[in-house]
Amino acid sequence: MSRSFVTLRSLEGFKFYGRKTIVHNLDPRAKALFITTVFVVSLLFTNLYVLLGLLIVHVPFLLAAGVLRRWVYSIRAGALLAGIIFFANLLTGSGVLPALALTVRFLVLLTTFSLFFMTTSPDDLGLALDRVGLVRWLSRRWLGFPNALSFTFTTAVRLVPTLAVDAQTVIDAQRSRGLELDKGNILRRIRNYVPILIPLLLVAIRRSLELAEALEARGFPGREDRTSLYELRFKASDYLLVLGSSTVLAVSMWIFVIHPVLRLPF
Amino acid sequence: MDPSKTPKTILEARNLGFQYEGAEARALRGVNFGVERGEFVLLAGPSGCGKTTLCRCLNGLIPHFYPGVQEGEILVDGSNVTSMPTSEVSRKVGYVFQNPENQLFALTVEKDVAFGPENLGLPRSEIRERVDWAMGITGTTELKNLAPYELSGGQQQRVALAGILAMKPSVVVMDEPTSFLDPVTAEEVMKAVDDLRLEHGITVIVVEHRLDLVSRYADRIIVMDSGKVVADGTVQDVLDGQFDQLTGLGVGVPRVSQLWAMLKRDGLVSGQTPKVVEAAAEKLGGKLST
Repeated sequence: MSRSFVTLRSLEGFKFYGRKTIVHNLDPRAKALFITTVFVVSLLFTNLYVLLGLLIVHVPFLLAAGVLRRWVYSIRAGALLAGIIFFANLLTGSGVLPALALTVRFLVLLTTFSLFFMTTSPDDLGLALDRVGLVRWLSRRWLGFPNALSFTFTTAVRLVPTLAVDAQTVIDAQRSRGLELDKGNILRRIRNYVPILIPLLLVAIRRSLELAEALEARGFPGREDRTSLYELRFKASDYLLVLGSSTVLAVSMWIFVIHPVLRLPF
Repeated sequence: MDPSKTPKTILEARNLGFQYEGAEARALRGVNFGVERGEFVLLAGPSGCGKTTLCRCLNGLIPHFYPGVQEGEILVDGSNVTSMPTSEVSRKVGYVFQNPENQLFALTVEKDVAFGPENLGLPRSEIRERVDWAMGITGTTELKNLAPYELSGGQQQRVALAGILAMKPSVVVMDEPTSFLDPVTAEEVMKAVDDLRLEHGITVIVVEHRLDLVSRYADRIIVMDSGKVVADGTVQDVLDGQFDQLTGLGVGVPRVSQLWAMLKRDGLVSGQTPKVVEAAAEKLGGKLST
């Protein structure tokens, strides 16, 4: 019981809650550029101070979005992995500082993704994806129409809670027939889940057929020039974030190329 | 088209037949009927009698979505459903499915209602107008920022209905829309559908076993068995004339009509079979006071 509680808690650190803060209202495209910048910079440099700096940059965002507490959950969930990264590097003889730097890099990546998913509405993300030419092109190539991929994404997010309820129903039903999930060694426990997975898969397939019918009835996929009720629009704060991120990105690349000395870390 | 010359018949099935691919028998055989604009039609019959297949034909899921062999034709507003693309049919015939949860796609109610009009490529102002209208008449405006999983079954079914109405169809087909609902909510949903028909002239076709729920609103009942229409007329006429056939097929006739049939057998009452409790009370009241 307590185990599942911890797992749920750690997922909280990546789950979107509808709120209206300045961070939530940022355009997903601007935020995507921000996390890309953090991602690239953290991979370019192994300097502990640069990486700590990147981590600290997130604090005002976490505070402004009011998600500091839930960010702690995601860090707690990543703590085990962070520990493994630290000791593995220490034991392979990289020294304390590099081991620490790599651990901080992991935490930076964890934080930036956690911030993004906690503050970006999947609906907005779908809209943003629908605006990306590459996504539309791939979508048309693979699935025949341009908004298929962005639709798949939002529907997947929409169905997570529904499938969670389905899973609970199947678990309850199988338990009431005497299935014992928490018995035996680790392999045995994994095998215990087979009678859960098969009915769950069937339920999901059946659900998807019904969804497909209902989609037809709503005129999906619709026309090439499908419209939308809401439109994403860049605000001043978005331009500011884009400007800041792209400057940092450009400067980091420049430093990386012409001042390799800074690459040498410690 | 000149509105005064708009034909009264909105929907027509002509010698309709269908056999699913790989099935041994035909699911529909020689089905003929016409539905008038603004009519409330109840479609009943035992499981597997072809009700759902018929509904699928009405909105073009057959033959576009389900492969098989179709005979005859279905005309909606004078045009043949079979030769129209489904997106075109969906503007004329709206289909509300049994399980409300499997027809909601967006992450909020408002965006879900907007989903159909968005697919039609309507301008934003028009989408806004339709969404507000559809949420207004289904009583879902207060729910507009909630996610589908935060809604009760009745609310979900209302939102599903709103999503269909936002496409402004002239016919709404509902396949057992109340089977996932409790009796009180089911009653509310049926009442909302009837108001819609009376105020907006939308034609309604409802598949329902439990006649208790709809006999009050329906003008007409079509009863099917083994892919054929076995009864077609006003609810009153069919209850009077083919009562035993209905109960034989396992159609859930209104309980008050059942009571009437029993009393009639014992010679205690006579005359028309009432379809709603109020009518029975009136008739029995007269009997009891004498």
